[in-house]
Amino acid sequence: MSSKFDVIVVGAGPAGLAAAYKLASAGFKVLVLERGREPGSKQVYGGRIYAYWLDKYLPEFRKDAPTDRWVRKERVSLMTDESVTTIEFEVVKPEKTSFVTSLYSFTSWLGKLAASAGAKIVTEVVVDELLRDEKGRFIGVRSGQDKVYADYIIDAEGVNRLLLERAGIVPRLKPELVAVGAKEVLKFDNRKIMEDRLGLSEDEGLAWAFAGWPTEYLPGGGFLYTYRDSVALGVVVYLTAWRQLVTPVYDLAERLRTHPYIARLVAGASLQEYSAHLTPVAGISMAPPRFSYDGLLIAGDAAGFLMHAGVLIRGVDFAVASGVLAAEAIKEAGRPDALSRYDDKLKSSFIIRDLAAFRNADKVLSGQFAFNDLPKLVNALMRNYFTIEDRPPTIASALKTTLGESNVSLTKVLINMMYALAYL
Amino acid sequence: MTAQQPVKFMTIEERLNVNAWDVDIYRPHIKIKDPDKCRYCEKKPCTYMCPAKCYVQQGNIVVLSTEACLECGTCRVVCPYENIDWNYPRSGMGVWFRFS
Ligand SMILES: Cc1cc2nc3c(=O)[nH]c(=O)nc-3n(C[C@H](O)[C@H](O)[C@H](O)COP(=O)(O)OP(=O)(O)OC[C@H]3O[C@@H](n4cnc5c(N)ncnc54)[C@H](O)[C@@H]3O)c2cc1C
Ligand code: SF4
Ligand code: SF4
Repeated sequence: MSSKFDVIVVGAGPAGLAAAYKLASAGFKVLVLERGREPGSKQVYGGRIYAYWLDKYLPEFRKDAPTDRWVRKERVSLMTDESVTTIEFEVVKPEKTSFVTSLYSFTSWLGKLAASAGAKIVTEVVVDELLRDEKGRFIGVRSGQDKVYADYIIDAEGVNRLLLERAGIVPRLKPELVAVGAKEVLKFDNRKIMEDRLGLSEDEGLAWAFAGWPTEYLPGGGFLYTYRDSVALGVVVYLTAWRQLVTPVYDLAERLRTHPYIARLVAGASLQEYSAHLTPVAGISMAPPRFSYDGLLIAGDAAGFLMHAGVLIRGVDFAVASGVLAAEAIKEAGRPDALSRYDDKLKSSFIIRDLAAFRNADKVLSGQFAFNDLPKLVNALMRNYFTIEDRPPTIASALKTTLGESNVSLTKVLINMMYALAYL
Repeated sequence: MTAQQPVKFMTIEERLNVNAWDVDIYRPHIKIKDPDKCRYCEKKPCTYMCPAKCYVQQGNIVVLSTEACLECGTCRVVCPYENIDWNYPRSGMGVWFRFS
């Protein structure tokens, strides 16, 4: 590994590979370093990728990227131990706006695309350090005793970003900035059974989020996505929950699987993989001071490019788009000290625009209303409304009983509800 | 819906068993810096925030075994005393996700 490259990319995730693909296609000599055995082998996500920005930044995906199922049904459930209230959304005419597939397959596909464009992907290499020269410019990377040099470095190392911490660019990660997700992939012998139980026609996909009970009413949520013949079922919980959480994180996903409501949906499906990963929750609040330095660009989760809108997490499209913008910045810059255009590109793209709009979402959502009061109140209301004893309830009487039981005012509920719904 | 057999709660050990690993038994990638500090750590969050149950409380101390580590990074962030020396496993070692 002694030869010099034009660009070194750290991390073969969606961000790094998108950058590598675009640069290699433009004739740059690109080296991607990945610590896992192959691209995707260290990655975990929930299950769904949004197509809108991919169409703009990586339209190639429409041709042959693995898309197990296009999402047809969206569900959000407010869950308690004894009841579940669900909102279901479905467009009448099928649209191709988001798809469910494993991050492993998507990343493998992107890796092949980058390699076929000429990028060199070397796996099983843990990068230990970003190298700088005496003037502080980034000039290469070190792995153990080996050093490799390049004109440009793209840091796409993901959420844990040890390299950026070691380089002094970002402070140590704090519990307020991240959540941990634990996930089970449950495989059905016969996918027809899965489709029937979840109310799907052949090849239709489902994206389902749960608030309340899965996280013991603490910030975060549960999710269920349908791969081709398996479901991804998991729980994400903010690390700030560490003081209150009773069920250990290692049992949260299994606790959700065995909730009687979920258990009958996934009964008979066998566990194929149990995985876990951190995810940023604070989006732009965990961003480094700048995204470009002399010789260095930061993309994807490492830069905090992730949107945590309540129980839904969106990071893959941000990662791909930021990787593509990093590649464009390098192509246009022509020199390693002219990379600040990357910051400009990000600012005028949807990335910074959307993340800025959701800047405070994590704060609103880590208040107890969205994950505690809302699921409990709504389920109590439904129960009071739908339970026929003695006198039939009206919506108004059910609401009155519910609020009376819970001691909160209607105004407070309505105000909080608007805030929570704005982000959930 | 047809009658189904009751679901059994699988322990974390049973669930971790289905994963693929390449364990580096010679060089644990995570260490507790000062095990004595753990005695005074009141809630010992590593023991219940780790999604793989790598940290187990024994009496007042905490025992760490990294074989089943999922490399998520939670313990590093959640330890209130910054008492965890955290790194990735050596080249290519550790967990190997294929379906997530
Ligand atoms: C539980 C959970 C659910 C999620 N759900 C969704 C979802 O449904 N939809 C969605 O769009 N997003 C979701 N996300 C977010 C999404 O997974 C990320 O935003 C996305 O993977 C970020 O891509 P990336 O390329 O920046 O980083 P990563 O995918 O993390 O890739 C980083 C790569 O760098 C490698 N690496 C790191 N350090 C080094 C080093 N020192 N040396 C060599 N290699 C290194 C890693 O092994 C990894 O392969 C979820 C995340 C989690 C945790
Ligand atoms: S959280 Fe840190 S200090 Fe506390 S018991 Fe665990 S390792 Fe020790
Ligand atoms: S990195 Fe994650 S799985 Fe590994 S020991 Fe720490 S908390 Fe547990």
